[in-house]
Amino acid sequence: MTQKDDPIIPLYRESFPDFARLVHRMGGTLEQAKDCFHDALLIYLEREKAGKLEIRSSPKAYLLGTARICWLRTLKNEPTIPLPEGLETPDQTDSNEEEREITLLKSLQKSGRKCLELLKAFYYDHCSMKDIAERFGFNGNRSATVQKYKCLEKVREEIKTMESYAK
Amino acid sequence: MRSELNQTSLIDRYLFRQLDEEETQVFEAKLLVNEALAEKVAAQRLAHRLIRRHIQAEERHRFETIYRLLITDTTFADQIKKIFA
Repeated sequence: MTQKDDPIIPLYRESFPDFARLVHRMGGTLEQAKDCFHDALLIYLEREKAGKLEIRSSPKAYLLGTARICWLRTLKNEPTIPLPEGLETPDQTDSNEEEREITLLKSLQKSGRKCLELLKAFYYDHCSMKDIAERFGFNGNRSATVQKYKCLEKVREEIKTMESYAK
Repeated sequence: MRSELNQTSLIDRYLFRQLDEEETQVFEAKLLVNEALAEKVAAQRLAHRLIRRHIQAEERHRFETIYRLLITDTTFADQIKKIFA
């Protein structure tokens, strides 16, 4: 897929100017409008991929409604994208925790990009094991399942190693 | 799958609340007495948070690319310019 063929482009083109107008009317900047709109797109796509998108009128209305909520949360200085149940930490606003996670992620992106891509295909794109096997060249569903857990284990062990060095 | 991978799969099901009530109780009882398991659960929870951060960073990059592409289109660019003029 080239950039020009990205399936999100028509929805972006149709919706962003309306949202930018709203943000501007409420005293916001173009950068703030983009940030919130991109948060809303993330939520929209995440729900769509998980089969949890319940559109009552149109994709544009849904996206604009979500973006509006994100903008109002930004004004109140609240986090815009909640974590799924089970992945929360006791204090999500801790900035040291945030910094630690960013450092860990940078290290993981250097050492295990292929694993991160595989885990993304599984947890975010909700690809079937058959699709994952084809896309990543594994020898069947079972091999893809084993590789998924090996990757998760690898990420987990790297985290434990990095954290023990940091102590 | 080897037992270590089975355990990783079990931790995943626990984190994503896919275990039934009885399985959850048994698992949480093990967590209380097995420090190594509790450490693995904490690290795996963090692994998922990092995977999510990675995905979000990639998607934001994708959206920024779309914006840069659209802003080269005069109709779209004029709309945005008029709003923030």
